[in-house]
Amino acid sequence: MTQIALSNLGKKFGSFTALAQMNLTIGDGEFVALLGPSGCGKSTTMNMIAGMVDPTEGDIRFDDRSILDVPMSRRGVGFVFQNYAIFTHMSVRENLAYGLRAQGVSASERNRRVNAMADLLQLTPMLDRRAAGLSVNILQRLAIGRSAVVEPAIFLLDEPLSNVDAAFRSVMRSELKALQRQFSQTLVYVTHDQLEAMTMADRIAVMDHGKLLQVGTPLEIYNNPQDVFVARFIGSPGMNILEGTIASSDEGKLVDLASAGRSAPLALSDRAASQGLPEKVLFGFRPEQVNPDPNGTMALPVNFVERIGARTILHLGGDGLEAKAVLDNQIAMPSIGDILRFSIDPKMVRLFDPVSGIAIGGDI
Amino acid sequence: MRRSLPFEFLRYAMILLIIAISLVPTLWMLSMAFKPIAEWSASGAALTWWPENPTLDNFRFIFGQSSSELIVSLERTAARPIVASLLAAIVGTLIAMTAGTAAAYGLSRFGKGNNLPLALIQLRLFPPMAVMIPLMIMWSFLGLIDNWFGLAVVYGIVTLPFAFWLMKTFFDDMPREIEDAALVEGCTRLRVFAVITLPMMRPALASSALFVFIMNWSDYLIALLLTTRDWVTIPVYMTSLSSSMTGQLYGAKAALGLIAAIPPVILGIAIQKHLVRGLTFGALKE
Repeated sequence: MTQIALSNLGKKFGSFTALAQMNLTIGDGEFVALLGPSGCGKSTTMNMIAGMVDPTEGDIRFDDRSILDVPMSRRGVGFVFQNYAIFTHMSVRENLAYGLRAQGVSASERNRRVNAMADLLQLTPMLDRRAAGLSVNILQRLAIGRSAVVEPAIFLLDEPLSNVDAAFRSVMRSELKALQRQFSQTLVYVTHDQLEAMTMADRIAVMDHGKLLQVGTPLEIYNNPQDVFVARFIGSPGMNILEGTIASSDEGKLVDLASAGRSAPLALSDRAASQGLPEKVLFGFRPEQVNPDPNGTMALPVNFVERIGARTILHLGGDGLEAKAVLDNQIAMPSIGDILRFSIDPKMVRLFDPVSGIAIGGDI
Repeated sequence: MRRSLPFEFLRYAMILLIIAISLVPTLWMLSMAFKPIAEWSASGAALTWWPENPTLDNFRFIFGQSSSELIVSLERTAARPIVASLLAAIVGTLIAMTAGTAAAYGLSRFGKGNNLPLALIQLRLFPPMAVMIPLMIMWSFLGLIDNWFGLAVVYGIVTLPFAFWLMKTFFDDMPREIEDAALVEGCTRLRVFAVITLPMMRPALASSALFVFIMNWSDYLIALLLTTRDWVTIPVYMTSLSSSMTGQLYGAKAALGLIAAIPPVILGIAIQKHLVRGLTFGALKE
């Protein structure tokens, strides 16, 4: 059981900065997802924790002990790779036993643990088959089992589910979570799939361009993005961001969205009120919060209607004022070219600074 | 897609022509090896495509048994050259593969840039003669002339760039994660190499070794310069199969050629499974 602390961690490859000023503490037994688009530095961070890559700045500590000079074979971490990295010339059993053998665990103990792990991951029927001919889904189970069997205090998974098929992915999500509960390791999970991060992680760390943008529970990240990038990246589709100017009315301040209309009077938090608002803002709202309303103060033309089964996504607007709306199928659906009038609950509006992209006033 | 009839005809004609060009010399050798002297020598009646009176005389002859028809006695039999060829080619292949694999692994995993690998292949751009004459003097000084070991060392050096380059591309193609996975489980680099990397490289090792072996086995020039009498190899020995009376001893040469073809063919069949996988190694990754 180990706590991982990254302080001012940075990595440069020549003149390219892969990661800068990363500060993150991952608690003992915590499940943290590093989430971001490809090239955001999440895998680099992971590889530095494992010791495959040396940082150019900063420190990594396991329980207050710096491990920078500990070679990767001594760090005692389990690592699952995106492309499994199964030893194809060995049988499933030999693969599972590999780590235990390297640690010099006795044969009887080795057998017991390999069999237990095979049982848990339903690999028992193929224990004595060669790994070369197995399906992708089984290979990934085996990769997870091979790392988990040595019961590492720290378990690192680098996009383990991105190559498996969709049905199996949802099975593995619940199995991985169950596995982590059982062994209660400190677990770091790299992914670009927000669904995986949302469903499994205790906390999510959102990264982009080598920077850590926000750390929080899945709901915190979803409800109160600290940054325009996080707002757009989380949610499917992501948050709508419209450029607007602050205007005053009898009922208080509101946002003028040019041809899209005006927002309802803002429900400003004390902090935002005391901070004062810039003249121009980015007006953010979730597509799910679009509330069709004949008396609504906002209006955008419908461009495209995307039916995804239970719900329908409307693509609205154009000319820099683009938004999406997710609506239930029960309501009367506008068709392309119609103007959709709608309102947004003021409590659900998030404002961002147009220059820095940072959220204004935290919770509004 | 349907192609026109003349096109198809032309296509098959070309294929047949190419097959004929590559197969006829081999078939000619096969047929020649079993012909009695009357059927292959100029003094004989008429040249035939297929032996009319098949015989093993040619084989008996090169192993020292003179026949009544061929009143030529050989200075040496083929037995010693076959041993010399086998020793020099096998040991040379071992040297090239051991050094080449080790160098390729090191440069593939820890090397920077391409200068060193390119410098190695550049060695092969020299005309062999430019290197062989000084080498001959060196070898003579070291007492390695006409010695199977001296020849094997040169074979190892000469084929090292090929072994190195083949193995380097195979190592480059191997996903690094596999070794990282083994390292992170607590293994030393050396153990990972022995237990994970080398066994996974078996197909690559087999096809590279076969390639290198064939190069060594079919060498003529180096053996001609470095061996004189006791340790001449098969190709050098073959040139001695002629006489002032009958000219070239084609039957004997064909018999020896047939024997010389055996080791590569056996090796090829033995590692056929690996050979195909080795050749497609890079293409089959996800």
